[in-house]
Amino acid sequence: MIPVATARTILDDKTAPASLSTPTIICIQDVVVEYAQPGRPPKRILNGVNLDIQAGEFISIVGQTGCGKSTLLRLVLAEEMPTRGQVLVEGSPRKQPDRRCGYVPQKYSLFPDRTVLENITFGLEVTEIGVFGSFSPARRVRRQEFQLEAIGYLRRMGLRESDASKYPHQLSGGMQQRVAIAQALIMRPKILLMDEAFSALDPGTRAGMQRLIKDLWRETGTTVLFVTHNPREAVILATRVIALGRTGGDEDGANIILNLSVPDTDDEPSIAGLARRVEQTTFPDGAESDEQSGAPEI
Amino acid sequence: MSILQIHAQPSRTTVWILSWFLFATGIVSYFWVSRGRHIDNPDDRVMPTLRQMGQAFADATLKPAEDDEVSGNPDQQSLASKIRRSMLWKDTMATGRRFLISMALLFPAVLLGLHMGMFPYVGSFFLRFVLFFDKIIALSLLPILFIAFGIDELAKVMLIVVGVAPTIILDAFNLTRGVPKEQIVKGFTLGAGDFSITYRIVFKQIWPRVLNSIRLNLKAVMLFLFAGEMIASQDGLAYRIALLRRHMGMDTIIPYVLWVALLLFLVDFGMRTLNRKLHPWFQEA
Repeated sequence: MIPVATARTILDDKTAPASLSTPTIICIQDVVVEYAQPGRPPKRILNGVNLDIQAGEFISIVGQTGCGKSTLLRLVLAEEMPTRGQVLVEGSPRKQPDRRCGYVPQKYSLFPDRTVLENITFGLEVTEIGVFGSFSPARRVRRQEFQLEAIGYLRRMGLRESDASKYPHQLSGGMQQRVAIAQALIMRPKILLMDEAFSALDPGTRAGMQRLIKDLWRETGTTVLFVTHNPREAVILATRVIALGRTGGDEDGANIILNLSVPDTDDEPSIAGLARRVEQTTFPDGAESDEQSGAPEI
Repeated sequence: MSILQIHAQPSRTTVWILSWFLFATGIVSYFWVSRGRHIDNPDDRVMPTLRQMGQAFADATLKPAEDDEVSGNPDQQSLASKIRRSMLWKDTMATGRRFLISMALLFPAVLLGLHMGMFPYVGSFFLRFVLFFDKIIALSLLPILFIAFGIDELAKVMLIVVGVAPTIILDAFNLTRGVPKEQIVKGFTLGAGDFSITYRIVFKQIWPRVLNSIRLNLKAVMLFLFAGEMIASQDGLAYRIALLRRHMGMDTIIPYVLWVALLLFLVDFGMRTLNRKLHPWFQEA
């Protein structure tokens, strides 16, 4: 095994999160997204969305299924391009996903052919060592440093060192997501994008993950975009909740129907009140008012 | 409880007996009929006895092949050198060489499929053509191949490649497309480029499945190989079987057929074991 000695502080302190004077890191301007459908007029998903996000914010995006939450996330990721309008990250548009955004999807978040440790170090190795010449002594030393760093992250995520040599399929869903978060954070991304990252987890595990991600956000100061369909989860985690919904007919596409700042509080009545408000806006007819909303969280 | 129920639970012994039953019946009835035929006609060549087949097999493995110019006294040679001069050994080597060359030529097919799945331009360039080629019955191309490449080794290897490569290309293509989009996006966000994503993420993930698909296509490979050898060849296992058919040499043909089956089984088993050993993370499902 790798010798135990944390190489350096794992999650170094950056600037304190979110104040209004911090620079805008994501700028979404008049974005329209349409999907072509054969023989029919294109289906409009997003209809002129405008959204500015400051560095260090924790944004939750809620909305009904199919209202474009994930589309919005993929736009920021630059995996998808807007039909009209533009998405700027740090002031410039992009062509494809890059290191600025860390990404934790709901499923397939780890490389199944790599052990936990290899999964976490993958980003460091691929950016620094590359494909060729990975056997020189200097590289070996560097690789050991990566592994030490990865072990540090592993511990921070609440996993044991003995898990390092396991393959993803040997881990539970919650542990997989912990590793996926470590894998993303080790690259110190400016923005962390989480697409229903906890939705497949059972309530107990989910609550633990929520605590973990909130703590990590406090430690790193990373901007987080967190897509969920659970209003309570959105309120507990975020500094700002964005709800997407259709205001017009089905063809109109969705827009922001709620943009709610959330005070940093543990006060249960106010959290419950805000969650109710988000829920009433997002799911006005009580339709699909989330199976997990009754589940205990934090 | 009826034995024909879905929930029937045969004991281990029963399962063992049942699974070998058809083998036993086949062997027993063969020798039963064979014995009957030999009582009627001692010179029967259609269903040779065990002793005849054993003798033929021993001749094939221990006696020098007809075309082998014997040097020295055959009795003084070691067993290994006897086997190396034998008909069976030479045929197996000839067929094995063609088999290995074809397998090696299938590797570029895997790479082509991978790139077709990863890069939209490569995909749109090749996909339609490969789909078309996949529908051509390779054996119907055999005359064309013989005319174009002559009747020597190249034509036989080409037959296999033409017959199996489209399947492998399409398999690799579909496996590549089947890799979840999340994995590729994740790769980009971790700083990997196109090259790293193609080879270090996607190729590595599909490789055990590709091996599996090649393994499942082994029979097709052998089919084309045998077709080529039977029609135009001077050596090889299938050449020998086709040749002996003319002499009604069932006493050699039957051991040869079993030998081929055994070889194919061993290759299949070896590939499966290797795949499991090399890729402990691979979940066959």
